[in-house]
Order: sequence, then C-alpha cells, then structure tokens
Amino acid sequence: MKKPKVAILGFGLVGRVAALMLHEQYQLSIFEAAPNANDNGAGALAAAMLAPMAESVICDTDIAQLGVEAMGLWPKLLAMLPSPVMYQQTGTLIVAHQQDMGDLRSFSQRLKPLAGHQAQQLTGQDIAKLEPELAGRFHQGIYLPSEGQLDNQAFYQASFELLQTKDCRFYFGQSFELQHDEHSNALVNDEVFDWIIDCRGIGAKKQLAGLRGVRGEVARVYAPEVTLNRPVRLMHPRYPIYIAPKPNHEFVIGATEIESQDDGPITVRSTLELLSAAYTVHSGFAEARVMALNAGLRPAFTDNRPKISVNAKVISINGLYRHGYLLAPAVVKQALSKELL
Amino acid sequence: MRDDKPLNIYGQRFESRLLIGSALYPSPQVMQEAIRASQSQIVTVSLRRQNSVSAGDDFWQLIKDTGLTVLPNTAGCHSVKEAVTLAQMCREVFATDWIKLELIGDEYNLQPDPVALLEATQILLSEGFKVLPYCTDDLVLCQRLAALGCEVLMPWGAPIGTGKGLLNPYNLSMIRQRLPDMTLIVDAGLGLPSHACQALEMGYDAVLLNSAIAGAGCPVKMAKAFNHAVQAGRAAYVAQAMPEKDVAAPSTPTMGMPFWHQSN
Repeated sequence: MKKPKVAILGFGLVGRVAALMLHEQYQLSIFEAAPNANDNGAGALAAAMLAPMAESVICDTDIAQLGVEAMGLWPKLLAMLPSPVMYQQTGTLIVAHQQDMGDLRSFSQRLKPLAGHQAQQLTGQDIAKLEPELAGRFHQGIYLPSEGQLDNQAFYQASFELLQTKDCRFYFGQSFELQHDEHSNALVNDEVFDWIIDCRGIGAKKQLAGLRGVRGEVARVYAPEVTLNRPVRLMHPRYPIYIAPKPNHEFVIGATEIESQDDGPITVRSTLELLSAAYTVHSGFAEARVMALNAGLRPAFTDNRPKISVNAKVISINGLYRHGYLLAPAVVKQALSKELL
Repeated sequence: MRDDKPLNIYGQRFESRLLIGSALYPSPQVMQEAIRASQSQIVTVSLRRQNSVSAGDDFWQLIKDTGLTVLPNTAGCHSVKEAVTLAQMCREVFATDWIKLELIGDEYNLQPDPVALLEATQILLSEGFKVLPYCTDDLVLCQRLAALGCEVLMPWGAPIGTGKGLLNPYNLSMIRQRLPDMTLIVDAGLGLPSHACQALEMGYDAVLLNSAIAGAGCPVKMAKAFNHAVQAGRAAYVAQAMPEKDVAAPSTPTMGMPFWHQSN
C-alpha cells in the first residue's frame, strides 16, 4: 500500500524530530528555506541542554514536566540514527561568584519541585569532586544530578544522514507556498499532501499571530586545556550563562537573551560578556580557539510557551523559545499523536 | 493637611505615582498583565542598538498595546556620547522628547556617573529633550541638575536590582526639603512595597521600579501590592503624620477610670 504523503516545512530541530517520528509510516517531503541541511534555525546554534529543573526557575511547572517527559524520549530518537550522537545525563552544576551569591540563593528558592528530580546544595569540596578543574574557584553551588545534554551538531548530521536513506524528498533553498484549495486540501507549491507539518520556527512569523523572535548569541570554542564533565551554569546579573562541554573539548558558551528581531552578527559587548564569563569559570579558556560566534532568533509567543495548532490538515508546532531541545520530542509527539502516530 | 496635586512630569499630569519598567519579566504576557495590575501610567523602555525600529517592532508593539506613556531610557550607556546618541535614537523610535538619562559609572554596582551625567544632561536639555536624570542621592548633584533646568530628578534608593530599599533616608529627605518644588522620583533599588510607601510618605512624588515586580514570584500580585503601597504612602504624606515623641502619651484618657492607680 502506498504511504500517505506528509510535507514537513522547516528542517530545523522541530522538523527533524517530526521527520524521525514519521519517516517509517509516511512518505515525507521536507522543505527548507536555507540552502543546506545542517546549519539552519536556532537548533543548530543552541547548547542543547536538557535541563528541566534549572529551567523551571523561569518557566511554568507543566513546561518543566514536559521537559522531563522529553528526556525519556530522546534516547529512543537517537537510537534510530546511523551514527552515535553524544547523549549525556551527568547533571548540571550551577555556580556563582561571591558577588552574585544573592542570585544563586534566589535561583535555589525558585527551583520548582519535579518528580524524580532533586537539587543538591554543594560546598567548595563537593564542587571539586564533581569538576576537579574547578577546585578552589567556587565555594558554593547547586547540583541538579538528573539533567543532561546532547551534541546538537552530531544530531543535525546524523538525522539528515538517516532521512536521506529513507523515503524522503528534500527541497533546500527554495521558496515554498502553503495553501488550501476549495476542498480544504493542504498544498505546498501546488502539490496536495495528506498532512503538512509546519515547523518553520521564526520563518512562520507572518502566518502565526503573536510569534516573535528573541535574539540569542552564543560562542563555540575549542579549549584543549579545559575539561568539564557536565554543563556549568554561572549566575550572571543579566543572563543565565552556561558552558556546555561538547565532544573533543569543544564548548558552547551562551546565551544572551534580547527582545529583538535582529539576527545580525553578535555584538562586541555580548562577545565580551560571554567569553569573560567563561574565563572567570576556568582560566583555561584564555587559550581557547574561537570556532564560531553566532546569533539567532528563538521563536516565542507572548507567553513564552510552545503552541500546537491544527487547521485543515496543517499542524503547526512553534514557539519553543529557549526550550527547543528540552521540549521538542514531547511537544512534537503531542502534536502528532492524535492524527499521525 | 497638605495639598494633593497630581504627579507632574514636565507639565503632564498623572494620577498614578508608580512608574514601571518593561524588562526581566518571565514573558511579555506576564509583563502586560503586571503593568495593567500596577495601574501605572508610565512605562520605561530601553532601546538596545540591536533593536532598530523595524527589528524590534514586535516587543515595541507589545509595549504600545499597554496604552501607557513611554519613557525611554539610556540603560547600559557608559559615556556622554553613547547616552546622547541613544537618546537621539529613542526620540526617533518612540516619538517622544522624554528621556530617562542613565549613565553608568561603575559596571558592577551600576552606579550613575555624576560628572558625565551633568554633561549629558546639559547637552540633551539644549537639544530640547525633557531629561529625567537617574542620579545618586547626593544633594549637591541634585542641585546642579536642577540648576541646569531639569524639572524632574530621579535619585536612587539603592543600586539597581538590589531590592535593598531606601539605603539613605536622610539624604533623600534632605533632597526633598531643599528642592521643595522639584518633581522627585525614587528610582532603583526598591524591593518591597513598604520601600515605595516610605518614599511616598517622605514626600517623594513617585517611584520607578522594575526588578521588584518583574523578579517577584508572582509579578502580577506584586504589581498590585506596589500600587496599593504607593497610594498609601501618598495618602499618608497628604494627611501629614503625627509628630514623633520620645515619651509615651496615652491614647485613652485615664481620668475617671476607677482603678487607674492600681497599676502602680
């Protein structure tokens, strides 16, 4: 029997997760405005942390719970892929310099209780045990042992690699038009599909009322003199700054959060803030090589919560804000489960 | 009892004595709800270089949707030139000649630079801006700013975002006494509604705050609390407090009480 036809608009993080969940049962056509597969959308730049508890400080409890659910789904998705993608669950370490202790206390007070997730208060000695290279630098911290992260660059590559071998057609770097005909059929570029999954992120701004971009800037560095076993968050007066260790001594240092639609290059101020924060955590970052400095737009609605909407055979999944990796598998599963899974 | 006049900012009158900031909320939706709950009539907005009019229009639209008078600020500026340029950009973007002039002298404390502030104020006033300088609680600095022609001054209660309240009530009350006709707004450092109440009781015309509401567990409830506190403080100022005394004075006359002497 011929498989039903599904179009996926946008091949960023959400589009990939949807494609992985659908490729066995459907014939997929994947449309992406960017000219190539592996550097599009906020998901390509992100640190890909899976930190439901740390994020619970700034999001509603149900969103954090959704993050817990997604953590259980990631290993299954990654197991489909033809090449290994680092998935780590060694917790998150949160530290603060002496002058920012007030922020650390307030962070600790605002952690929301999540089933199966516990926060541990750490002394300087505890920190040294977890992260030997940070010994003597911090006297207090918080450890969220159940959190994790993954290697998003490897995920981007491996998911493309897999889908290329499956029943998927790819259209990169082309403009595409989403329409409905008089019978409420959903069409992309005049071709009728059984379902269209709109995962365009900020690219869907014109169609989705209330969607806005929240600018984020990140640095990616190669620091052979630094070894960290897990993502480290540093309390900062303006943004939560994190340093997420990726394979081969690469680190993602992020991220600013600016209410702006500007996706132009990173500013000097943001670069200085991010890199100096990293240097204050570990002086080994002084000799690190800057591999990339990036800026992108996180798609967000005014309540900063993800939104799924269904309209005549078009399912739109958007507004994952700063919680793309944290939420994508759970949100996409929720969006597809009624009609497609 | 004192006269109760509305808040006067460069000739414009306002009923609410709470000016509210637009940063650091958990989401723009919470910001809008908190602003409504505060019953503020003036909202401060900071313009970053990355928000050109077209680029930043979404967030700007959300602010406009509140229907409040916008007070742009020069947050994050460290030099006279930067502040003047940003003020000029704000005038274009927000179509207002009001500017909350913020010029940081110390990066960590975010303490205003008094020397640069005077220079920038002079330039901006000469360019027709209505300047609301954010300054420290130094009387002489406030007098100098007044002499330049400022009609509103905004001394700090404590450093921005600390929530410590009025660290130096003596300085603040001295500024109030010595500049009796100036519109004075305590800006920054407040954490609790009681801090705002205290400033208004002291005769300050208004308070400006952001983190105390945006950083609260429930910003909307806290916005309401501040609204009440500001009203209470103002009413107390207008009503005039009883004089403070060192010796107890009974509030119930003891004459005619049959057993009054038994307590001896």
